[in-house]
Amino acid sequence: MAEARKSMIKIKPKKYKTGDIVKVDFIVIHPMDTGLVKDKKTGKIKPAHYIDNITFSFDGKPFTTMKVWETVSTNPYFSVNFKVPGKGKITVDYTDNTGEKNSKSKKLKPKD
Amino acid sequence: MKRRNFIKSMMAVSAVAVTPVALMAKEEAKAKKKGPNDMTVEAAIKAITGGTDVKKSDIIKLTVPEIAENGAVVPVKVQVDHPMEESNYVKAIHVLNTKNGNARCVDVMLTPANGKGYFATRIKLSSTQEVVALVELSNGTFIKATKSVKVTIGGCG
Repeated sequence: MAEARKSMIKIKPKKYKTGDIVKVDFIVIHPMDTGLVKDKKTGKIKPAHYIDNITFSFDGKPFTTMKVWETVSTNPYFSVNFKVPGKGKITVDYTDNTGEKNSKSKKLKPKD
Repeated sequence: MKRRNFIKSMMAVSAVAVTPVALMAKEEAKAKKKGPNDMTVEAAIKAITGGTDVKKSDIIKLTVPEIAENGAVVPVKVQVDHPMEESNYVKAIHVLNTKNGNARCVDVMLTPANGKGYFATRIKLSSTQEVVALVELSNGTFIKATKSVKVTIGGCG
């Protein structure tokens, strides 16, 4: 469980100024098992394994929280808007139903 | 000709014999399958709104494909034309479906810092059904928009 998951934060568009509204895309490599699918090799049902909480924060202040169920696709993608208040760091913390915790962050550098 | 007729009749017989059994087996399998948090749409909407009325609204722009060839990956985009000020903003966007085992997909809690009521993700759909976007505004009112999606191959196992 200690293994870090591959995840990515993308800011769109690439060039932005303070006060602009940008798109913050977050993608993570995760199986998102529903608990209904059989494993083709063993024939046993795979236990449910999905992300259940995501928090987007800017410099430690959360601005968007999400509650997620297993109905979301494999390797989920979430996109929200964010108004750039200045220089800082966007951090995304996520936990899944097995108690796995991870986070990913990216610096915001507005060009004025 | 004899052989052709024989094969035809055999196919007809086998089709009649096989289909009911296969169908029954499928239905049984469906009934047995239960997710960890199964919920119907009505229950989900009630759990979110607490019994308040939900009105259909034009300010929600829900973008989903009309026909989804792969039910495992259905892109959903919700845009709400509503100001995002300190006292008047979009508080939450809930993405729901009508026929999956679990009707709830994502609950997104927004704040005025977001700047716009926008959310996009990808969800799984088991069969042809409707996607519901339920939006909560900061004054406590609920609005929704629905759109149906045709699913060719289900994506829930």
